[in-house]
Amino acid sequence: MSGELSKSFPRLAPLLALGALFVVAPLVLYASGSGYAFRVATTIGVFAILTVSANFITGTTGLLSLGHAAFYGVGAYTAALSATGFGWPFWVTLPFAGLVTALIGILLALPTMRLVSIHFAVATLGLGEIIHVTLLNWVDFTRGPMGIPAIPGIAIPGLFKASDVSNYFAVAVIAAITVFVIHRLTHSYYGNALRALREDDQCAETMGLDIVRLKIEVFAVSCFFAGVAGALWSHTTGYISPNDFRFNESILILAMIVVGGLGSIPGAIVGATLLLALPEVLRPIGDYRMIVVGSVMFLSILFLPRGIFGEVSALDLMRRQFGAAWRRDGRVGWR
Amino acid sequence: MSALLEIDAVTRRFGGLTAVDGFSGVVRRGERVGLIGPNGAGKTTLFNLISGFTPVSSGEIRFDARVMAGMKSFQIARLGVGRTFQNLRIFPNMTVFDNVSVGAIGAAGHSVWKALARNRSAAETVSAGTWAALERTGLTDLAGQLAANLSYGRRKYLEIARALALEPELLILDEPAAGLNDTETAELAGFVEGLNADGTTVLLVEHDMGFVMSLCQRVMVMASGRKIADGTPAEIGRDAQVLEAYLGTEEGT
Ligand SMILES: Nc1ncnc2c1ncn2[C@@H]1O[C@H](COP(=O)(O)OP(=O)(O)OP(=O)(O)O)[C@@H](O)[C@H]1O
Ligand SMILES: [Mg+2]
Repeated sequence: MSGELSKSFPRLAPLLALGALFVVAPLVLYASGSGYAFRVATTIGVFAILTVSANFITGTTGLLSLGHAAFYGVGAYTAALSATGFGWPFWVTLPFAGLVTALIGILLALPTMRLVSIHFAVATLGLGEIIHVTLLNWVDFTRGPMGIPAIPGIAIPGLFKASDVSNYFAVAVIAAITVFVIHRLTHSYYGNALRALREDDQCAETMGLDIVRLKIEVFAVSCFFAGVAGALWSHTTGYISPNDFRFNESILILAMIVVGGLGSIPGAIVGATLLLALPEVLRPIGDYRMIVVGSVMFLSILFLPRGIFGEVSALDLMRRQFGAAWRRDGRVGWR
Repeated sequence: MSALLEIDAVTRRFGGLTAVDGFSGVVRRGERVGLIGPNGAGKTTLFNLISGFTPVSSGEIRFDARVMAGMKSFQIARLGVGRTFQNLRIFPNMTVFDNVSVGAIGAAGHSVWKALARNRSAAETVSAGTWAALERTGLTDLAGQLAANLSYGRRKYLEIARALALEPELLILDEPAAGLNDTETAELAGFVEGLNADGTTVLLVEHDMGFVMSLCQRVMVMASGRKIADGTPAEIGRDAQVLEAYLGTEEGT
């Protein structure tokens, strides 16, 4: 009986998730009677897209990316500038932002693809900072620290107007598509190839895997969705500035996927939800709430080494990343 | 028998150290060849050169008459060279099936588009190759286990299975019997003989002399990066230089 249930569960799970996303959650949010609840849910949705895409590169493929928020920023600025400058609607700016981000991601990452482990992480950190500094200082193009205001919301003329509710549903649809695509990639033999990269990329290469090509593909896919998340952020908040896309946002994304569990899509979503909803729920206790959030992160690393759903331990991954940096036989840094 | 692997005056230096020093040798199609030598002789380094893990400093390696210089290790693998590692390198957080599937994916090639489109035939090729390799190594029943949970002996077969899933023409095994007891070693010898009978050419490094001498048709001996002897096990047993190399560095092995 329970065996039957657990067998039918994987088939049922997507339906339940879609039901929760498009029926239950909106009703609950509506019942709470405030646009604010919808805005929190929208933020969670944007971060779920970010964590699912970051988890694809870090959790599944084992490439520690410390620059995810910067690519998110590239997408946000691409959408904001093309929407305010050319008057493009969101259904054009969204895929456009994704493609531009993927392209910039590939161009920037190409020289780092043969970097080993922790060296790759440091390179992504540098890339992230370069992007942030560019957004901040290229004033003629990005308006620098002033940011970009008055970005149009998500609306289709004649069909629906921009509102907190339309924003929520747009983000929900894109998040569902993101999960669908990433799930297809990870739950296939292609996903096994990526996990092999995470476990031991040198060994994976001697098994016939074109590891540089795989890394570039993963980076492109991951950056595409980070860019899409950025576009959603632009259109749903109406105002962006370089500060939304700093290093600490990358670390927040990383913390979310570590708490949820590296390599797990549900984990990435739960991690994003937990670390964003907790501060909201705990608002009554004021500034102490950040201590609680910090403790949740700390304790989950301590007592749930694989996070809530993960397939690999975060500490173990870190240890191997650092270890590989000074492995005696290794060509240190480059391969 | 035609030459499958030709190693031509190959040298590999690490800084001031010459790990492989002008080594030449041939492995013919269908042969079982052993490579022996004292610790630090350069055997593993030579394997790394053959599989493209490390580039050569000078000299040339040909596989099936093709020059392998400049090829990446995944290209060499796809040409038909499967290998195992002296210090086991399984993928611990993946199941036995998923570990072995990596070899099959390497053989079939991977495409992000096919994965997105859920391409049936690509998935079936990989799945068939994986099950066949599991079958040959007797790991079918353990397919769903996490690789990290396997016993040491099973892990060795797991590594071989992963290499077999590549459907290699040449299988190179680095100390396959190390850490196995006598029964397991005998079982392994029978297994390797079976693989060879099925058409896989085998080149292996091993310190267990009984294993090498009974299993291999030909043995190459390496010391300080150089080849000092090459012949049948009987010839090697009589070779004065070989005895000196072994007696000079190790007591009585
Ligand atoms: N990446 C490397 N960098 C520097 N030196 C190396 C490297 N790899 C191997 N060596 C050195 O090359 C020499 C040959 O090592 P190798 O591992 O090939 O020997 P081996 O014959 O396999 O020995 P064993 O029987 O102990 O496995 C050793 O002196 C070793 O320290
Ligand atoms: Mg060795």
